[in-house]
Amino acid sequence: MAESYTLKLRRYDPESGEPAYWSEYEVEQHPERSVLQGILDARDQEDGSIAIRCSCRAAICGSCGVRINGTSALACNTQLGDAQAKAGVGKPIVVEPMGNMPVLKDLIVDMDAVHWKKIQRVVPWLLPEGDPPEREYIVPAEAMIDVTQSMACIQCGACVSACLALEVDPEFVGPAALAKAYRFVGDPRDGQHEERLRDLAEDPHGIYDCTHCFACIEVCPKDVAPMDQIMRLRRRATADYDIKDKNNGYGHEHAFVNIIERYGTLHEAQLLPRSFGDGSLIRGQTEPAAVKQLVESLPTAARGLASGKVSPRKALLHPKLPDQKSVRRIFKEIESKDERLEINMYIIGDNADDEEGAMAEGSQES
Amino acid sequence: MKLAYWPGCVSRGFTPELHGSMRLVAPKLDLELVELDRANCCGAGVIAEHNQELVDTLNARTFALAQGVEGAVGMMNICSTCQGAQSECQQRLDADGDYRREVNSHLADEGLAYEKSAEWWNKNFLWLLVEEIGLAKLAEKVVRPLEGVRVAPFYGCYIVRPTERLGFRDHPNRHKYLDILIEILGAQPVDYAGSHKCCGFPLITMNRTTSLRQAGRHLADAIDAGADCLVTPCPLCHLNLDMQQPEAQKFVERDLNVPVLHLPQLVGLALGLEPKELGMDKHVVNTGDVQRKVRELAAA
Amino acid sequence: MPQHDVLVIGAGLAGQRAALSAAEGGASVGIISKVHPVRSHSNAAAGGINAALNPEDSWESHAYDTVKGSDYLGDQDAIEIMCREAPDEVLHLEHLGVTFHRDEEGKLGTRAFGGASAARTYYVADITGQALLHVLYEQLMKLEAVDRYEEWFTTALVTNDSGRIAGAVTRNLRDGSFELFKAKAVILATGGNGQIFNPTTNALVCTGDGIAMAYHAGAPLMDMEMVQYHPTTLAGIGLLITEGARGEGAHLYNAEGERFMEKYAPNKMELASRDVVSRAEQTEINEGRGFPDGTVALDITVVGAKRIHESLREIVNVGRDFAGTDITREPIHIKPGNHYVMGGIKTDINGQTGVAGLYAAGECACVSVHGGNRLGANSLLDTLIFGRRSGAHAAEQARGSGMPTPAGSELERERSLIAEITSRDRTGRRISEISSEMGTVMDADVSVFREESRLRNALEVVKRLQEEAKTVSVDDKGSIFNQDVLSALELRFMLDNAECIVMGALERKESRGAQYRTDYPERDDDEWLKHINLTANGEDVPAVSYSEVTMTQWEPEERKY
Repeated sequence: MAESYTLKLRRYDPESGEPAYWSEYEVEQHPERSVLQGILDARDQEDGSIAIRCSCRAAICGSCGVRINGTSALACNTQLGDAQAKAGVGKPIVVEPMGNMPVLKDLIVDMDAVHWKKIQRVVPWLLPEGDPPEREYIVPAEAMIDVTQSMACIQCGACVSACLALEVDPEFVGPAALAKAYRFVGDPRDGQHEERLRDLAEDPHGIYDCTHCFACIEVCPKDVAPMDQIMRLRRRATADYDIKDKNNGYGHEHAFVNIIERYGTLHEAQLLPRSFGDGSLIRGQTEPAAVKQLVESLPTAARGLASGKVSPRKALLHPKLPDQKSVRRIFKEIESKDERLEINMYIIGDNADDEEGAMAEGSQES
Repeated sequence: MKLAYWPGCVSRGFTPELHGSMRLVAPKLDLELVELDRANCCGAGVIAEHNQELVDTLNARTFALAQGVEGAVGMMNICSTCQGAQSECQQRLDADGDYRREVNSHLADEGLAYEKSAEWWNKNFLWLLVEEIGLAKLAEKVVRPLEGVRVAPFYGCYIVRPTERLGFRDHPNRHKYLDILIEILGAQPVDYAGSHKCCGFPLITMNRTTSLRQAGRHLADAIDAGADCLVTPCPLCHLNLDMQQPEAQKFVERDLNVPVLHLPQLVGLALGLEPKELGMDKHVVNTGDVQRKVRELAAA
Repeated sequence: MPQHDVLVIGAGLAGQRAALSAAEGGASVGIISKVHPVRSHSNAAAGGINAALNPEDSWESHAYDTVKGSDYLGDQDAIEIMCREAPDEVLHLEHLGVTFHRDEEGKLGTRAFGGASAARTYYVADITGQALLHVLYEQLMKLEAVDRYEEWFTTALVTNDSGRIAGAVTRNLRDGSFELFKAKAVILATGGNGQIFNPTTNALVCTGDGIAMAYHAGAPLMDMEMVQYHPTTLAGIGLLITEGARGEGAHLYNAEGERFMEKYAPNKMELASRDVVSRAEQTEINEGRGFPDGTVALDITVVGAKRIHESLREIVNVGRDFAGTDITREPIHIKPGNHYVMGGIKTDINGQTGVAGLYAAGECACVSVHGGNRLGANSLLDTLIFGRRSGAHAAEQARGSGMPTPAGSELERERSLIAEITSRDRTGRRISEISSEMGTVMDADVSVFREESRLRNALEVVKRLQEEAKTVSVDDKGSIFNQDVLSALELRFMLDNAECIVMGALERKESRGAQYRTDYPERDDDEWLKHINLTANGEDVPAVSYSEVTMTQWEPEERKY
């Protein structure tokens, strides 16, 4: 049954010389229809000058990225009923242009200036080694399914809009472009894995500029999970290629892991100095940049002591877990495996347990 | 209510006032905490970045230890990051039986195994307050409503995203709990831009500028919205927001000086505990103004 | 004034492929698109791309299936070329980086598709079109030789004194400025026209712009009556559920629980060709065996949750977000819906149209490889093969020839048209009212089952709407992203397309492929085994002429699945 919705749109007409303003539109629509449909209804029936990019209506073309009640999303796969529920009873559904990109008109942002520039930054095409084979490249079936997750990206920019690192560092390569980078690093046909990883590890705005906030994962309409792809880039850079970057990404990870292996719990007082010594316990090869950062962090550590929250003794001596041996055995057992065991929720879904049964049923019938 | 209790590394390290305040608050809420003193670090997202099976095994170990606490209704943590990191592992462990068996094989030596169960849960103190203790019961226990104290909530990324993994389907209001609690405790929640954003801690050793710009910006937003203090259920956020605050000032080029409380401290104040015993003198940013307000309340 | 040897209009798969091959051929290339290239509707081609690439398969088998699927209206020389060249094209794309799914040995994997005698559909989950489109765009980003004009809308083609193509008039949507692009060759790759129907699986951008512009430039259109209704679309909004679902084993049921395809195509069942399945569904619905919402049920649960997750993920999302149905657990209600136009701008096997120097490729073109009915997973192939051939041929022709001089003053004419539109007072009908009336009458009277009286009614409505469109009012008077004016221009293009479809459907007095006339229910090879060509002649209705269907080795026979 059709219901009445109030859409509050952020309007901006660059030709008017006026700043952006809000306009409200009443539309009658079914709750399961999309916010995009609501906006198009307003445009069709009331004001033809409302500008929004849109095309497929089915969340595959990536045109209609906006912010709905503050959350980045595609207007076409956000239902009016859900948007109303989020907005709250009696309140309008608020629709704004995406964040982190300049607004051109109404709900249209300049994706070229931000999003596409960053995509171009990661050398977004396959760089195979040597001439192609006569027929197809022979590659593991799982590898192609695996990179399909990042291939599924429709370049809508929702993650760029929501990215909390980009908000403070506009130079950050960003979630969409880094997911795109994984699409090549995860592709066995690409011959430049190490070069790509080194490039993005050494860039101060590369893989070690992601603040791990999950905002991109939360808003991605295609389950690309850009942050997960960034973490996989880090994993490959450190574990597969041993890339000791000047941003201390490698050092931080190794220091952390080593401390847990040794003590079982985190020992922050050791984390900083060790991070800057590429994670080794005593004689780290410390990069000049790392020394600078270490020095910068000293006042903070000193304040920790001064506030009385940390005693000097505690800062230096970290107690081991009572059964740290067990933790260390786990480390040894797993880290000595030839291949890292990873499962991807994108592929197996939430409930692979149940699905074993479903699969068996399916195969019986066919 | 008996609980397996995982305080996390930071609360026993750089934020002992968190651990200490939780210890004092628990009995006032009739919580019996059995501390998992053999459990290991959750990995804080970093071990996950290094090796997925390793971090899943380490947390499966913690879960198994918690499941072994006789009579406990579930496991409680006091760190958003632990919550998020552990939920991520639990999601993978619960999704695939073969994988779970492989992970458990590493725990067999210790006689431990994580068992998937719809009944078993791991909740942050924040969730526990609302969902297990209940707001009505909490309200009854408030002896010192924090009237007039303006508190800006700071959730921490790991406890609000991704919503699908963090059980928002069953508990759709989890992103509002801090705001709700602040009101129940008699204080006034402050609405500002940074409440659900990132404190920057995960970047502190890798990109100090991005990290401290984040911390600085959110603190500034809270101040501009009139906050007397912030409150957070995450000690890692606390490190960047409190301990690093004097440094963060430089990155936003303004004075900040706003105290940041741990969630159990705020609850403790409303339950009648004194600022000093809650460790409020052990912060980097002076909590004197908040303490004064609370003392005035007591006097009034 | 920008100028290029080869100007490509439209940047979906056909356009991008044409631009890349023209550039490889040494031409300077410009590619214009009214949306950013990756927003193109090629994204929606979910299921896959056909090629007889397995040693056990043969291009002849693929070609025969295509000829039969076309109900013998396809030109067999063109079909032979497409099917012969398919394997190399798929391998080329694989080498460029398309993440085609693999079999257990790591070789390219296949899935079954409708109307095909072998499993020869190569795929990337159910985002094949998207994967292809994005990989080609990667190549465009890599290749600096191609100038991209993204978010530019072409309003008219331009010829020289002797009627040869000379360029196009284009409006930059970002600032409203006009440019006359000069070119030795123009390749139209503007896609289909599904938006003239409501509902449709087509994107909002599919407004038949290129078809209308070519028609106005004097190029004949061919077999415009051949409009495909896809068997599995969502009622109401028209979104597509890929044929890949049936390819993976999904079943169709009517409201009485019968697997009704047993009656209509006992051998191929759900995998009969699309016209056959759509007619079967519509018959069930018309005879009262559908659900109250005018649908039948597609049961995908039999495929198994893991396989669905792996390879039909997109429709899990479509089901959840747009129909509130978990397709891994319950059947989803579907019905036939407008999907594809087999007809279009008449071309030869190199994409050349009736206007010298003007090419067309992809859905806007009619080579014809699809004839009366297109097989699933042949459209991606069509765009790539004929996009590539057009680009290569145009580059070759451009080499050594001079830049033509545009005759007349199209630039001024288009500028003043915009000025006239924005200066209208608001007494006219709204654009949305006209397009909605058009969509409704086309879906009611020009769909799965057609007959003379209803086609006459549709024509009458379309003619009236064409008049009303001339005075349509717009609210936006500005220059920057004026989508209101854009819609007014698209509306006129759409109505031209609609008129030609109805004209073709009235003309063809038989039932063949997607054209089913209840008043002429039989296929009539003696009279109608021929193409219907429509040409703008300045009269009230287009001029009708006929051309032969090219036969090479397959004689028409009765079509059974």
